[in-house]
Amino acid sequence: MAVTAPVREHSTDTARAEPPRSAGRRRARRRTYLWSYVYLAPMMVLLLVFVVYPIIASLGYTFYKWDGIGDPSDFVGLDNFRQIVHDSIFWRSLGHTFVYAAFVVPIQLVLALALALVLNNKKLRFASFYRTLFFLPVVTSAAVIGVVIQLLVSNFGDSINSVLLKLQVIDQHVDWLGDPHFALGIIILVGIWHTFGYNLVYFLAGLQTIPDELYEAARLDGAGRFATFRYITIPMLRAVGVVIVILAVIGTFQIFDLVQVLTSGGPFFATEVVNTYIYHLAFGGSNANAVQPDIGLASAASFVYGVLLIAFSVVQVVVLRSLAKRRAL
Amino acid sequence: MSSRISRRTLLRGAAGLAGAGALAGCSSGNGGSSASKASTTITYWDWYASQAGWVDNEIKLFQEAHPGIAVKKTTQVSDKYADLVSLAYRSNNAPDILMVPKSPQLSQQISQSWLMPLDKWATDSWQGRFPENSFVEGVDVFGGKVYTAPFAAPAPSLQLYVHHGVFKDAGLTNDDGSVKLPKTWDEVTGAAEAIASKSGGKVAPFGFGNSTNTTLAWWLDLFVRGAGTPGGAAVGGIDGMDYRVGKWTFGTDRNYLDVINLLLEWKNKNWFYPNSMSISDEQARAFFERGRFGMTVGGVWNQPEWTKHKFTDYSLVTLPTPSAGDPKALFYGPPGGKFVAVNAKTPHADEAWAWFEWLYSPDAGKRWVEQGQGLSVYAKNNDPKSVTFAPFAQYVAMSGAAVVGPQPTIRNPKVAAVQLPGVKPDINDVLAGVYTGQLKDPQAALNELTDKMNQALGDAITKAPGVSPKDFTFSDWDLTKPYTTKPGA
Repeated sequence: MAVTAPVREHSTDTARAEPPRSAGRRRARRRTYLWSYVYLAPMMVLLLVFVVYPIIASLGYTFYKWDGIGDPSDFVGLDNFRQIVHDSIFWRSLGHTFVYAAFVVPIQLVLALALALVLNNKKLRFASFYRTLFFLPVVTSAAVIGVVIQLLVSNFGDSINSVLLKLQVIDQHVDWLGDPHFALGIIILVGIWHTFGYNLVYFLAGLQTIPDELYEAARLDGAGRFATFRYITIPMLRAVGVVIVILAVIGTFQIFDLVQVLTSGGPFFATEVVNTYIYHLAFGGSNANAVQPDIGLASAASFVYGVLLIAFSVVQVVVLRSLAKRRAL
Repeated sequence: MSSRISRRTLLRGAAGLAGAGALAGCSSGNGGSSASKASTTITYWDWYASQAGWVDNEIKLFQEAHPGIAVKKTTQVSDKYADLVSLAYRSNNAPDILMVPKSPQLSQQISQSWLMPLDKWATDSWQGRFPENSFVEGVDVFGGKVYTAPFAAPAPSLQLYVHHGVFKDAGLTNDDGSVKLPKTWDEVTGAAEAIASKSGGKVAPFGFGNSTNTTLAWWLDLFVRGAGTPGGAAVGGIDGMDYRVGKWTFGTDRNYLDVINLLLEWKNKNWFYPNSMSISDEQARAFFERGRFGMTVGGVWNQPEWTKHKFTDYSLVTLPTPSAGDPKALFYGPPGGKFVAVNAKTPHADEAWAWFEWLYSPDAGKRWVEQGQGLSVYAKNNDPKSVTFAPFAQYVAMSGAAVVGPQPTIRNPKVAAVQLPGVKPDINDVLAGVYTGQLKDPQAALNELTDKMNQALGDAITKAPGVSPKDFTFSDWDLTKPYTTKPGA
């Protein structure tokens, strides 16, 4: 009692004394928050105008046959959705998108983690230079990369083929971007190289949050390099790793620019991914004459793809959480 | 406190920078020196890349003749031109005068009030300088008002280009040393065989650049016409239809499958330049110039680029036939035509018209021909005697391979309201699928395409009041002669 009473008294005193200080704090906090909102406002406006509004607007367009000229007036109900669901090219594009993600994400993550471990070595000289070097492709426009690769493959394709033919890696000349057996593979390779730097930086950031003391303690306990990696690095990276995996998967599902520049989805849709499929519906084919733009159909395809991605993301999060829980037990 | 001051300072700095930027933007907005001298600057859009030399020269001459007007040209990428024009109109940023985009249909562009009727200037006497039947309802005239005009005379749109050096190396020469030009499918095959064997596989007999998914169809178009199929492989709108029956006949006209099988036979013998599916038409043009392949299909637009590079050692033939003799079908165009039009909302209508009239002047047309760009709508400009450049003279000499064909909009102007939706996969896609082995059964693919296109036409007709399938059928059409479409007939 003797102990508790003064405390209660003290707290009561504090409560009585608080109003002027608390109001001042609230005002200060509000002022701080106000600035936060001011700083956030431009991004929110951009988000509303360029993300939220188009999503809502495109939902309306899904019910119209509309080439983007004038106002939509040809109401077709759910016909656009019916067309998309029955369009084999849409499902083929979806398949290509998943194939792209299935190859790019694991290969890129393993490579990025391996390189991050090397670059995280404090004894490594010129580490910053290497980091910059590996991050360079990320800051290079996909369009530029696409054009350069396209030129390289088409101009030096003969030389590449000659070397591979001499080495008996291939038995006949390959049109790397024009052959349906190879074109998607080339896009996957370029895709891995292009965005590899992101994951490298994420992993590096994650590795640098692991306290050195843990490694020192492990070494004192006689743990080798592999054991240190297995029992310290991996568990400590798990939280960051889950985020990196989710970001990598989302990033690969947004593949568009590389495909558009390298192959425009061809030959005969062999590299068409969902985003280029939607683009070609909305803006016509590469030959503007060939296909009239169909904003309604493109909106329906976007909507269907969006729903599929949300479903996939939910499954992904549920699976990752359940795996994390199982490991925690 | 200091933090607040720094924020203000930061905001003031940012505002200052933004203001300075805006001022800088305003001050540089009027463009180049010619614009600063002129009292009015008009904006002009086209997709003429290889023809840019002619356009630039015309702008220079026009500005000299009209010191008060400057033309600010923007050349857009051709395969996105229609999209860019559409977006420009939606954002009220359309140019004052522009090349008429190929889509949407001209009737739709007019119904959306994109284009200005030119009757104020395009008087009867102005129209009188053009050949007869140049202004046709449903083609360049809508609702009795003129919106655009023909610029070029009908001409063969595609030719088979032959590289002299490659042919000579393969021994494909006549007794007089001139290059033996192939005119039939067998002769083309024979020439290819000679090139492949004499070069030991180092030079490909054929090559093309299909990265934009269009040029492979040019081969089909050129060869199938020679065999007597008038629709060719044109895509977009109602082009490519066989007007004798008013339908697409990809699956029912045997010539399509025959040409596809011929192309596959050549491909299976490795006679096509191996990167043809992934390189661009521009790259293919450069590779042909360097002799990496001996034959390619393209249009007269190839020639100015090659001339610029001083490559003139080539010839051209058009419409190779399955057997010796004249081509059984030709290239067809409508009477009338379209080139440029004036934006309906331009604040500089008179100045835009001045540039319009300049482009359509006989002198500009003459320079067009002299520079080897194509044929002029004015017959007097197309005198072969005045053409000194041999490959272009060959092109001028083959002008008889293009004639006026049937025009449904003349028979029934309501046809202009038929809005044909695109069909995917189209003939370009089908060819790419067959060529790359993804479509194993070409006949089935052609049948499916035919059914889809005819179904799309049927659906479009039902939505267009006063239009019937008969409007597209011209059973009396002689494929080798110009056709005169009679209104209402």
